[in-house]
Amino acid sequence: MLLKGIFAMPFLWAPMWHFKRPRRLTAFALSVGMVVGFTFGLTPLCGAESPTDVSDSVARGKRLYEHACLLCHGNTGQGDGPDAFYLGAYSAPRPRDFTGGEFKFRSTPSGELPTDDDLYKTISRGIPGYMPSFRGLSEAARWDIVRYVKHFSPLYQEADRTPIALAPGPLPATTESVNRGREVYDLLDCAKCHGPQAMQPGGLYDQGELRDRRELNVLPPDLSHPSSFKNGHQPSDIAQSILTGLDGSPMASFREALTPHPEDIWHLVNYLLSLSQSP
Amino acid sequence: MLRRIFGIFLDIKPTFPHILSSAFTSDLFRPFSPTIPVKPLCTTIAKHLLLLAGVIFLSPLFSTPEAQAIPAFARKYDVNCTVCHARVPRLNRTGERFLENGYQLPGTEDGDTIKKSRLGDLTLDDVTNYLGFRMRGNILQTTDYARHASGTNIDGNPEDRTELGFPEVFSLLTAGTITNNVGFFAEVESNLEEGETGVERAFVTFNNIGQHDWAHLRIGKFDPSAYSSYATLRQQFELVGDDSVDNGSFMLPTINRIGLTPAAFASKFSGLFDRSGTAIVPTAPSLFHAVAEMGLDIHGRPFGDWFLYQVGILNGANEPFGDSNNPKDWYVMTRFDLAQSNYFSANFSGFAYFGSNNAKVSTMADVNWSRYGFAANVRYDLVDVYAAFVVDQVTDLPASLKNSFDSTATGLTVEANVLATDRILFGIRFDHLHAGGLRTQRTNTTLLALIAKYYLRSNIAVFLRDDINLRQAQGGHAPERNFRNAFFVGADVAF
Repeated sequence: MLLKGIFAMPFLWAPMWHFKRPRRLTAFALSVGMVVGFTFGLTPLCGAESPTDVSDSVARGKRLYEHACLLCHGNTGQGDGPDAFYLGAYSAPRPRDFTGGEFKFRSTPSGELPTDDDLYKTISRGIPGYMPSFRGLSEAARWDIVRYVKHFSPLYQEADRTPIALAPGPLPATTESVNRGREVYDLLDCAKCHGPQAMQPGGLYDQGELRDRRELNVLPPDLSHPSSFKNGHQPSDIAQSILTGLDGSPMASFREALTPHPEDIWHLVNYLLSLSQSP
Repeated sequence: MLRRIFGIFLDIKPTFPHILSSAFTSDLFRPFSPTIPVKPLCTTIAKHLLLLAGVIFLSPLFSTPEAQAIPAFARKYDVNCTVCHARVPRLNRTGERFLENGYQLPGTEDGDTIKKSRLGDLTLDDVTNYLGFRMRGNILQTTDYARHASGTNIDGNPEDRTELGFPEVFSLLTAGTITNNVGFFAEVESNLEEGETGVERAFVTFNNIGQHDWAHLRIGKFDPSAYSSYATLRQQFELVGDDSVDNGSFMLPTINRIGLTPAAFASKFSGLFDRSGTAIVPTAPSLFHAVAEMGLDIHGRPFGDWFLYQVGILNGANEPFGDSNNPKDWYVMTRFDLAQSNYFSANFSGFAYFGSNNAKVSTMADVNWSRYGFAANVRYDLVDVYAAFVVDQVTDLPASLKNSFDSTATGLTVEANVLATDRILFGIRFDHLHAGGLRTQRTNTTLLALIAKYYLRSNIAVFLRDDINLRQAQGGHAPERNFRNAFFVGADVAF
């Protein structure tokens, strides 16, 4: 159908026969190129099947990385691509440095590397505001990128990466649960960074003490917007971020603080989600 | 030809080095003619820089506390403008690749994936993810001229003027993907000052033909230079059209003020007309650097990210729907991208544009108007420098004009932007036009432009701009000499 459409366009083809000889040749070459192109069809980039050979997968991941990731993360994976400075020139976040082994979005304890699933999830979902979703790549292609990204850090050769266990949940978002969540918010001193109502930066931000590993200012998000949860806004995503912390940023892990009452994590999640549902 | 190409450097010697060396203290900018009272250039620049600084320091009073803009085109991908723009409207490398890939993320073919929903066999789109709106223009415009008695009827009789206004250019844009590897773009623009409303650009793209990044096809009305190192559109310095009056078919126009456009992109010739007989003003963007021309082109990166090719054919200069001319113009461009880490990137490109009966001269004879040139762009940290050097040539001139029409012209443009803070951008542009065309009319032009932009949000900017004629001191009646200075305060808003 597409081919027919192209050939049916008289304005494309008719004028070429009026060219002088050298230009007619050029026009003909151009035409042949178009026809060959359309004959091949509009093929998808990443229709490859799941890789059986890891080295092949890494090689494919490298090619994809150079197309899709390099401009922000740089060809050495240090987060220093040509566009990186414009993204986070004077304030965080700047693109992730894969070589340091420090990742924000993980299911593993603070200080540990993320699992492959974590990396895959970040690539697939993106980071609202900062990194687009690469769902447009096939699943196999995204796994290829995961394997290539891991090669930037030697820590991946030896590290044991086990996700933390979440308490059974989520719990129903009852008034009691939300109120308890508010108490937990105060107990954990969340207001120091996120402000008393979780909508305005707290005192530590005003004092200029919230900085990331690159010493860039970090603005705590307004938690009344679902898109503020960079690691996803499902209850389990939020619980995971609170328990694991966001390494490399001022957001610490609250896993130990919540150990005595593991179910409190779900109350806190219910409170935070209630902020975006308030009229 | 060679003399013309290199003459540009000889030609600007009398004026330009003075700025570099003895700068603002000397009397080198004193007019040639004592009867023309010209203010010292240093005073003009200092006055406007002071004003720029004042407004920039006051502007935080009107700002919002945090720039978290997600305008229309970013909405689809849930990202901030800075993912694709160095600062709006200038694209960063990701934005350039997104454009090349037909409005799909670099390296992907996600035209059928992101923000598309399914209803049975139907693919549904949310229209808000495709609509954009841009409003830009001047709130205040001051233009100064050197006073003189009018020369000829084509030199105009300009008057110093200060005008209050309202952003006068409105663009409604829609762009995106219909499905996998099929993209579209359409822009309807209304320019209140010029009294024109119409389709500025509209085209469809078929992407990733054959293999990924092998070939992308564009068909419609588009800007040919979009993929080069220095593209006509998306610059921090908006194109400012000339102030002129059309005197009829095959008559030279009366020019009050020259257009303030990059010299490299300009038409460069006095005495050229489009095929309908309308005069082409020497400062109007044209050929490879036209804002929009009808045609088709193919580009791709078949050998990797380091190399881009582009070939295309166009109706020709100012030809609308329904071409009056059988031969077509065609062009080829190659671009080489270097270095992609340490916050550094660079690229350079060369192009050749071959016109065929695409313009006329005063005898109504057809001529071939071609263009060749190269451009480069270097970015490091927050500094963005780009330049273009372009040679225009007119061939097949009628015998009667052989001695009175200079058939070669050159243009050089160098621009630099620096992001001083998250919100403040400074820019400077140098333009030198070594003009061609009718020897009695052609006049070389050298301009310096300064700009300061304050971004209230990443999609809302107010700016101050000053364009200074570095050759004002040479005097004379030509529009290229009587223009002295233009100062603009404006806004640029995109949603």
